[in-house]
Amino acid sequence: MALWGMVIDLDRCTGCQACVMACKAENNVPAVGAKEARRGRIISWMQVLTEEEEEHGGEVKRFLPRPCLQCDNPPCTKVCPVYATYRNPEGIVAQIYARCIGCRFCMAACPYNAKYFNWYRYQKEAPGQNPDVSVRSKGVVEKCTFCHHRLQKARERALAERRELAPGEYVTACAEACPARAIVFGDLSDPGSEVFRLARSPRAFRLQEELGTRPKVIYLTEGEGRG
Amino acid sequence: MKWLAVCAGVVVALLTWGFWWVEPAVKQPIEYPHKTHVEKLKLACTSCHQRAEKDAVAGRPPTALCLACHSGGETESDEVKKIRAFGEKGEEIPWKRVWRLPPHVFFPHGTHVVVAKLPCQTCHGAMETLDRPPARPLRTLTMNDCIGCHEQWKWPEATKEGRPGPVSVAGGRRIATDCNACHR
Repeated sequence: MALWGMVIDLDRCTGCQACVMACKAENNVPAVGAKEARRGRIISWMQVLTEEEEEHGGEVKRFLPRPCLQCDNPPCTKVCPVYATYRNPEGIVAQIYARCIGCRFCMAACPYNAKYFNWYRYQKEAPGQNPDVSVRSKGVVEKCTFCHHRLQKARERALAERRELAPGEYVTACAEACPARAIVFGDLSDPGSEVFRLARSPRAFRLQEELGTRPKVIYLTEGEGRG
Repeated sequence: MKWLAVCAGVVVALLTWGFWWVEPAVKQPIEYPHKTHVEKLKLACTSCHQRAEKDAVAGRPPTALCLACHSGGETESDEVKKIRAFGEKGEEIPWKRVWRLPPHVFFPHGTHVVVAKLPCQTCHGAMETLDRPPARPLRTLTMNDCIGCHEQWKWPEATKEGRPGPVSVAGGRRIATDCNACHR
């Protein structure tokens, strides 16, 4: 069985936000409006975190794109009282909106702030949205799903043609959009895949490894000469 | 006493809110008899719902497909005349959708029809007995209807060569009860 994972090379990331926009468009992530944004309710499944230079204020030293890290030992799933979020057999931490009761325990448990709550019904179904992703209703938690609707479709295609899912057939929207090719997506259990190789690079690290969440989004540190 | 009855009525109405709601009836532009086409003429469902074998959505037939049979010869049927009128104007028949799944469900017709080889009637009911187009779905589907089939399958046990991939296991029959397999 596949184990889907992502490697983000921070040396390549230019902070252009293409992944952020690709994700919003792909997953029908709503714009919450200025008033809601001021209350800190912006929904952004993929977010480019920045770190400013200490000596020169306003200058950005580092960029760090942060999707849901799809932990192998996810803290969020353990607190869900209704099994609306769980780690599926292929390692994707799923969020089942129809099941979510909006208690937000998972948001409190997530150390990476990767989960978002729909305080209102931010959008209705409308033309121009991606029909493969449902529009979330008021009162449910949502998050990056590694574009699992793309996996559903790719798998149906493979099944119709009676063949295995080919590597590279299922890629997330952010990885596809990244112009610097900083985001690599693939099967971590396949020794031939690029993510397998990169995840074992000496530059590889995971966010807040000490928590034991074992994220499947792996970062590659910047080179020494930068920052 | 009268007030009590009114209060009881209101309470019952509130408790069963939504329970008595029925979907509004759908009126199709053509009074299409499934019975004639399926039982009498022995046409397969997929001869008109052509995308059922390929796509996620089964689709409703385009005007040209109806006219492939119904264009020639004299006719006394008002319904056939209506089809020809649509054809002459170059319009598609504005079929209305009767069956709707919630948007958070991923249901590919293709896989269920071709790979699982389910008869259409499993979900759609006895459509072949209808003389008129159905105003409402013949069966109301719930998630239990999906799970009822999907639960009969288990993730395969690991063998010496390791766990087989989901598609090879399929070999034709991959169904899972993983929520993410259908929810989106």
